[in-house]
Amino acid sequence: MPAVSVRDLRKTFQLKQKAAGLRGSLRALWRPSFQELDAVRGISFNMDEGELLGFIGPNGAGKSTTIKILTGILHPSSGEAEVLGRVPWRQRQELAFQIGSVFGQRPQLWYHLPAVDTFYLFGKIYELDDRKLKGRIAFLAEAFEIEELLETPVRKLSLGQRMRCEVAASLLHRPRVLLLDEPSIGLDVVAKQRLRMTIQRMNDLEGVGVLLTSHDAGDIEALCRRVIIINDGEIVYRDKVSALRRRYLTVKTVDVRYNEQLPPDFALPGVEMVKVGRYGAKMRFDTRVTPVGPVIGGLAAAGSLADVTVSEPSLEEVIGAIYGQAESKDG
Amino acid sequence: MASGGRRQAAPGSGVRSPSLKAALGKYWAIFRTQLVNSLAYPIDLLGRSLLIVLFMWIFMNLWRVTYGASGAHTIAGLTLADTMWYLMMAEAVMLSKRDLSEEMTEQVKDGSVAYLLNKPFNFILYHFAAGLGHSVLAFGGNLVIGAAVVWLMVGPPPGIAGWLFAGAAVILAWLLDFCFSALIGLSAFVVEETAAFRWIYQKFLLLLGGVLIPLDFFPAWLQTFSLNLPFAWVIYGPARLFVEPSLARLGQVLLQQGFWLALIGGTVWILYRRAAARLAINGG
Repeated sequence: MPAVSVRDLRKTFQLKQKAAGLRGSLRALWRPSFQELDAVRGISFNMDEGELLGFIGPNGAGKSTTIKILTGILHPSSGEAEVLGRVPWRQRQELAFQIGSVFGQRPQLWYHLPAVDTFYLFGKIYELDDRKLKGRIAFLAEAFEIEELLETPVRKLSLGQRMRCEVAASLLHRPRVLLLDEPSIGLDVVAKQRLRMTIQRMNDLEGVGVLLTSHDAGDIEALCRRVIIINDGEIVYRDKVSALRRRYLTVKTVDVRYNEQLPPDFALPGVEMVKVGRYGAKMRFDTRVTPVGPVIGGLAAAGSLADVTVSEPSLEEVIGAIYGQAESKDG
Repeated sequence: MASGGRRQAAPGSGVRSPSLKAALGKYWAIFRTQLVNSLAYPIDLLGRSLLIVLFMWIFMNLWRVTYGASGAHTIAGLTLADTMWYLMMAEAVMLSKRDLSEEMTEQVKDGSVAYLLNKPFNFILYHFAAGLGHSVLAFGGNLVIGAAVVWLMVGPPPGIAGWLFAGAAVILAWLLDFCFSALIGLSAFVVEETAAFRWIYQKFLLLLGGVLIPLDFFPAWLQTFSLNLPFAWVIYGPARLFVEPSLARLGQVLLQQGFWLALIGGTVWILYRRAAARLAINGG
């Protein structure tokens, strides 16, 4: 049985509309008008126990709404969802004992108190035995490298330190599924890496499944084997991260430098020349059209090579291209 | 799957019923954590409590002139000392109330309500426990400082019975006020902005609840009208009991508080169940 199962899930919000100015305000009082916003439009997916699943999309794509439905906070307009065999919006309290969640932009630690105070409070809320709670806090403190931070008021922690404490707090009750909504938002590179490491470590150690939403493709690349891309409330891509790379990373960019001057009409068949200089050139080709071998062979035959760099687009660019495709299909 | 000492729900069971000890334990922990949180800034806490000194000074000047002008030792059965001790208790309760409606509204507006709805506790009881943690400390500060000032102004306070009876009534008064706040706060699930409701409630408390003036001083018809509304039992009830701690009055105050608690508390409970289903969280 999958840990998370979603079938044709939809969520429509009603947004109150008001024309500009006093007249518009008065008219809205007399005859309010509403616009329906389809935040989630019939998405379906599964997540296995212990899986690290990436769930990405631009702002307003419906990621957070989906996560809030899966925690039981929001009721969907239609469709089905089960998390660990429970319907979240009907069995929210039951489910709360089995899942953890972190909403990156909404702190759950008490701001003026040391994190350890919130840990003990959560221990009571999740009905944990006092002795075992102490052991659990010690274990998480070590795993997340927060031993030195636990007794510092949360307001005095850096964002990265706070976020590690937030995720640790969400794991106190040993949830089987962790829903992480933008946990790396606002973090610097080092803090992001540390956070990723700890999430990976907890997945390895306890087999906790993680549904991770992020703006940062690096989070997904570092942690997830499978990714779902959502745009405008619909799933536009789902596959392994490696397949995503293989499928979309077919465009290669080559920077080449020679020891001698190049002819001004320097060109290779099936390769687009971006820029040709006196001693070097920048070019692009698609491996589905032009195989790599002949291109490299052509470059070697053209003169005495000083340096060659072959690069591929970042995952960020790939995802941007997928959003673009989805939007152009809609348009 | 590791259990970590947690109680396991029966698979597929619809409703989890924690033991009473565990349930009380979590709300006690919330109360205690809020208490500790309030102590994070002791100077701020003291500063807020000092406000009662200013209020008592103004009231003293106002009522000394009023009693002097009337030439009577008592007005509506209350001496100047009774009136001042009444107002001290009324202000101590009023200034220690936590405006939960504003907090709930903000939580709905900024989306942080998500963190409270996805934890295994009751959203309403969570707020009550946290509110109590705040109020107990603030009330204690107001009482100590307010009592010291009024003692200097008009002499010693009422006897021990006044303190005990008023103490019991204050706890129910907080509960009643909490129900009003929750009613206003829950409306945020539907209307999002609740400042107008909050303003109206505050003014009802001030005018008809007995914060500014003991209801005994009202004309008979207005007094009857006020006593038939719930606001009087948030402020007037406990404060009046403090200066006239009879068993008959204790019974009357507790009965009225119980009646309104059942009515407004029941409404809150029903509204909460409906509001949670209608929730539209911002930022989602």
